[in-house]
Amino acid sequence: MNQKNNLIVGIIIALVVVASYNVDANPVEFFEGIPNLAIVAEEMTQVEAELFGIAFWSMFETIQMAFIGTIVGVAISLPLSMFAARNLNSKFVYGPVRAILAAIRTFPSILWAILFVIMVGLGPFAGVLAIIMYTVGFVAKLQYEAIETIDADPMDAVSSIGVSKWQLIRYVVLPESAPHLLSQMLYMFDYNVRQTSILGLVGAGGIGFYIINYIKFFEYGKAAVFMIVVLVTVLIIDWVSVKIRDKYIIKSQHGMKVVKT
Amino acid sequence: MELLQMNSHSFSTISTKKIIQMNDVWTSYDSKNYAVKGINLSIDRGTNYAFVGQSGSGKSTLLKLMNGMMSASKGTIKIDYQTPNMNDKKFKSMMHTIGYIPQSLGLIKNITVLENILIGALPRMKKFQSFFKIFPNEEIQEAKKILKLVGLSGKEERKAYMLSGGEKRRVAIARAFMQKPTILLADEIVSELDHFTAREIMNLIVDAQKRMNLTAIMVHHDMQLALEYSNRVAVIKDGEKILEIGVEGDKIVDFQTGDLTSDEIMEMYSDESKK
Ligand SMILES: Nc1ncnc2c1ncn2[C@@H]1O[C@H](COP(=O)(O)OP(=O)(O)OP(=O)(O)O)[C@@H](O)[C@H]1O
Ligand SMILES: [Mg+2]
Repeated sequence: MNQKNNLIVGIIIALVVVASYNVDANPVEFFEGIPNLAIVAEEMTQVEAELFGIAFWSMFETIQMAFIGTIVGVAISLPLSMFAARNLNSKFVYGPVRAILAAIRTFPSILWAILFVIMVGLGPFAGVLAIIMYTVGFVAKLQYEAIETIDADPMDAVSSIGVSKWQLIRYVVLPESAPHLLSQMLYMFDYNVRQTSILGLVGAGGIGFYIINYIKFFEYGKAAVFMIVVLVTVLIIDWVSVKIRDKYIIKSQHGMKVVKT
Repeated sequence: MELLQMNSHSFSTISTKKIIQMNDVWTSYDSKNYAVKGINLSIDRGTNYAFVGQSGSGKSTLLKLMNGMMSASKGTIKIDYQTPNMNDKKFKSMMHTIGYIPQSLGLIKNITVLENILIGALPRMKKFQSFFKIFPNEEIQEAKKILKLVGLSGKEERKAYMLSGGEKRRVAIARAFMQKPTILLADEIVSELDHFTAREIMNLIVDAQKRMNLTAIMVHHDMQLALEYSNRVAVIKDGEKILEIGVEGDKIVDFQTGDLTSDEIMEMYSDESKK
């Protein structure tokens, strides 16, 4: 490491300290707060058994919302990504489509949820709509980037046969980008389950609704139970999607065996 | 040496036999260097025509000029009396008659062998059918016939990425045959193969040529292979055609040179065959 690097690291540390002071982030408070977790853990043991039923049921609702949101969002983003890919369109087409997608992406899902709660009222439907918007914004971007990196050779070879643009999309673009799409769907579903878990905070359905209510009434033990259900579910989904990815995606991309770990 | 004096610059004018004509064709990828420089050539229908030359000499570029993937910055090209241009409706409607096998083959790796081959039939399919991948039965039968011809029977349901290099080449050839082409452009499709497989594939193409009266323009790395299978061989060097040889059996029947003397040519020719 040379002088210049030392200086840069020093500046970054100084900035972190100054910013922490500005946002009132005090490490001492963090350590002093640790015993509070023990109190929450103790409260958790006193939670009545029926509550677990409610927790699982609301988690199930959350998963369903994330599922619908992911599938519908991907279905909408697919045609959009075809119009947004630079190697398939003139700039008069991809320009505006990209601008719209960028605008959609500027909102986090919780803001979409607030907007849809205002539009369609409280409940899971608003949450589903929010997840759809979020998914469209991101998957369309990931997908048009994947389309743009498709190997030019099959594209050239097939267009030199004199096929139409739709045939080119159907027979080259779709199959060549399908592994990416499947991978993005899994990733997005995984991510959407986490996101949907907090949409209840603004009344857009799912398990977060319970969590926020328990917190409001200082029932931290119950809130913690629900949070652990979220944690376990997310871990399971994570694990399953790794399995699916190994089985279908990695193989089809490289034609190789995945080393079992 | 008599042969060398036969003629030079002999490019006959249009006759119905001529299927491909290039007249003083120049082209470049960037505005600085020309990849193809003042090429003249004229190819008779049914010929097996070969380009040989060192890496980077412009062979692939010449093929891309013939199917409209590149355009000439100077000079004229006529393919069946049409100027190749992908944006021209008239040319686009004849593109299906030109089978093109790029150096990299251009297969779609995630779909099956059969589907890769059926892509050759897309230009004659209806929109609705091709969107839902509903191939008419006779097209599937045709594809299977070709599959058998190229020696891939039983592999129709394999994904393309699961094939060996030689098998991939056979799929690319089958896709081109599926187009029912009148011209076949093949870019070094046998260069990386062993002696035996290379000849097997060349025989396949030469047989198909006889059956379908196909004109084949093939790029070779190996002069030996070109002389063995082609009727005419053009040697390309730095974007120029430095000589063209007509072959019949094992006899050279025609020998045309560019602006070089015969001694210079012989020197280069021995350079080429040494590789
Ligand atoms: N896509 C490209 N962009 C820029 N220059 C290119 C491109 N393709 C080829 N060239 C250049 O054009 C010239 C001719 O290339 P071409 O591919 O026609 O050679 P080739 O004879 O087919 O060589 P090889 O035997 O290696 O395939 C080379 O100098 C090459 O660097
Ligand atoms: Mg080449």
